[in-house]
Amino acid sequence: MELEALQEIHGEVRALGAQIVVITPELERYTRALHKKLSLTFDILTDLHLKTAEEFRLVFTLPDYLRELYKSFGSTLDRFHDESEYRLPIPARYVIDKTGIIRASEVNADYTIRPEPSETLRQLRLVVNTAAA
Amino acid sequence: MASLQQRLDDFKRSFESGAPPYNAPRQVIETMHRATAELKASGIEDRALKAGDRAPTFALFNQDHMLVALADLLPQGPLVASFFRGHW
Repeated sequence: MELEALQEIHGEVRALGAQIVVITPELERYTRALHKKLSLTFDILTDLHLKTAEEFRLVFTLPDYLRELYKSFGSTLDRFHDESEYRLPIPARYVIDKTGIIRASEVNADYTIRPEPSETLRQLRLVVNTAAA
Repeated sequence: MASLQQRLDDFKRSFESGAPPYNAPRQVIETMHRATAELKASGIEDRALKAGDRAPTFALFNQDHMLVALADLLPQGPLVASFFRGHW
């Protein structure tokens, strides 16, 4: 749902001279299929073994009891991520300005809450306007 | 169009109702709630990088196996970077 919602604002993001990337621990064979299925026009980047998520300090390890639960659903992260330790990034969205400084961040440990794309657009407009001023 | 959070909330309500098509057992839902509460309590949200921090550089492969580097993206303009746990 989140990727579709980002796709909906991608035109406006491009019009502001900005870009979107999605960063995920999923292996390329899965990102390729997902990218095609959703007809996305921005890149999905594979963050192998969560190296980049670690640098943004977003990584946690699934507790054993949750690992077993997901396995019972058939979701095995060692398959999707080549990640035997069952680590994941918490959902996070950043707006980064041209100089590489993070200008806005939305981070939530509750994975059922995701930043609203309209809010991301608002933050992006602020960054673009400040840069132009 | 409903907001993203509205759509997510609708899904959550449907899942947690225990009704079809998900038929989620109460115990499963409680396990998920417990895990989320523990993760919140761990303080991970406060440790994550935030506004004012410098973004760590990265160079990662996209879905077409082309290398995409932050250093190449930024000169073109600001960047929205969204971390996504996966499609599963």
